[in-house]
Amino acid sequence: MTIPMVHAMGVTKSYGGVEVLRGVDIEVARGEVTCLIGPSGSGKSTLLRCINHLEKHDAGELRVDGELVGYEARDGKLYERSDKQLCSERAQIGMVFQRFNLFAHMNVLDNITVGQTKVKGISEEVAIGKARVLLERVGLSGKEKNYPSQLSGGQQQRVAIARALAMEPKLMLFDEPTSALDPELVGEVLDVMKDLARSGMTMVVVTHEMNFAREVANSVYFLDQGVIEESGDPRQVLISPSSDRLKLFLSKVL
Amino acid sequence: MTMNGDTAVKVVPVRHFGRWIASFFAVIAVAMLVHTLLSKIPNGQVACHTLNTVRTCHNVINWRFSWNVVFHYFTVTEILQGLGRTILLTIISMAIGITLGVTIAIMRLSKSRLLSSTAWTYTWFFRGTPVYVQLIFWFNIAAIYPMITFGLPFMHATFFHLNTVTFFTPFTAGIIGLGLNEGAYMSEIARSGLIAVDEGQIEAASAIGMTRAQTLRLVILPQAMRVIIPPTGNEVISMLKTTSLVSSIGVIELLGAAQNIYSATYQVVPMLIVASLWYLAITTVLSIGQYYLERHYAKGALRTPPPTPIQHIRSDVRGILAKFRTPRPTKESR
Repeated sequence: MTIPMVHAMGVTKSYGGVEVLRGVDIEVARGEVTCLIGPSGSGKSTLLRCINHLEKHDAGELRVDGELVGYEARDGKLYERSDKQLCSERAQIGMVFQRFNLFAHMNVLDNITVGQTKVKGISEEVAIGKARVLLERVGLSGKEKNYPSQLSGGQQQRVAIARALAMEPKLMLFDEPTSALDPELVGEVLDVMKDLARSGMTMVVVTHEMNFAREVANSVYFLDQGVIEESGDPRQVLISPSSDRLKLFLSKVL
Repeated sequence: MTMNGDTAVKVVPVRHFGRWIASFFAVIAVAMLVHTLLSKIPNGQVACHTLNTVRTCHNVINWRFSWNVVFHYFTVTEILQGLGRTILLTIISMAIGITLGVTIAIMRLSKSRLLSSTAWTYTWFFRGTPVYVQLIFWFNIAAIYPMITFGLPFMHATFFHLNTVTFFTPFTAGIIGLGLNEGAYMSEIARSGLIAVDEGQIEAASAIGMTRAQTLRLVILPQAMRVIIPPTGNEVISMLKTTSLVSSIGVIELLGAAQNIYSATYQVVPMLIVASLWYLAITTVLSIGQYYLERHYAKGALRTPPPTPIQHIRSDVRGILAKFRTPRPTKESR
């Protein structure tokens, strides 16, 4: 049996007494797309952010590629990883945010090359070459010198995807990548994501796009109030849900 | 402008009567100012001379603001030396202030309570006491500490000694006094810039694997600069003039040099004008520098960068010319 890319068991997280995750189990196989769906406040974004340790989970086991996230197990103890170790862990996990979060003071090309040159130590020319290939892939050739503020939301999000891909991640996390977009721009971002899924990238996607989940995802997890309420094959889960809460949720979003 | 899509129509702009009246008074005020600046007054002396055995006398008149004296002393060595010291004091004190300010701001935002409260206390103390008092304190430090020894307290471990009598010359006391005081103000300015950067930028930097130091240097500081520069420009200009306080501890800077001259010549107002004109000149240069620095760090923040002053003047001239030019009939407006 191969090691799953992401493996969570009994993960909990609370903010100041409020339990956001109350024992979550998920498993993401290599090369598969997993969608996390659920009402706002259900903890799906928090779970995603725990996977690359932007948030520290309180308890439970969380592994990426077989390695514990944020800790090292040695002699029966858990050692917190240093800032440097966390950085090299994160560099292997791409993340795309709801609000794009492109570096506002850098043009498109610099946004895509900065991680390669400063984090991975790749030479400037190689980084630029890679950036151009990625820009072509997300359909934004010719926008190299533009600043994020000069691009539409959809274009910014596609640059953000290219920025994450430039690090050659083994796993991509998407945190509601289309929620801040005008309706007519959602399609262009989803197309890039579908293309990425077809290329065999392991992806965890927090989304409200049920059509995307149905078409692209290999598995879907429905979170509600910090627990996984229902999970499985999207065609099964989304078309004939068994729990009442998922039925209610789907009736609202579809 | 067209109406109904085809015919050209003359547009009558709104008449701003209030603005015209205000402009009229502004013009009068400026004219009065120019007039008084260029006016002459009798200086109390009477000059007589004899021409063809006819002796005539008249009152001697001078520029009210003694422009001839101002012009004469504007570039004398003492003034230029003072000016050099003023500029040097400003540059070094601001360099200390900015470095210290950014460091303290970062400490203040640290998760360590000890670091952040140390930073808070620093700002509280140096902002809360007059800079004049601080300058005199550093000038007199040798009276309290003839020798400063750096080491671990209570453990008799020493690293090195500093002889305060030779180290704290008036000039170093001035630089340290001004620099430490400025650090307190700069720390608040730097902090405002750092917290103005969107949290998402920091998350994105972490997500691609940047260390905290890289995030600070490559992502946060460049964006914070946009917020930090305008008040820092203010601080530099303020520092330029605050350096005049060091004349009280014996450093002859620009104002001190001017005072030295007028204490001998009694030309108080002309010498103050000499100093003020120099302060204005440096302020002008600094303001221009600030403008271009702001433009540089505005990269990416605005869709179209604001025009440079030269572009501004050019477009103003073009606008005025266009008003006077009679519009040529074009095909559309026929």
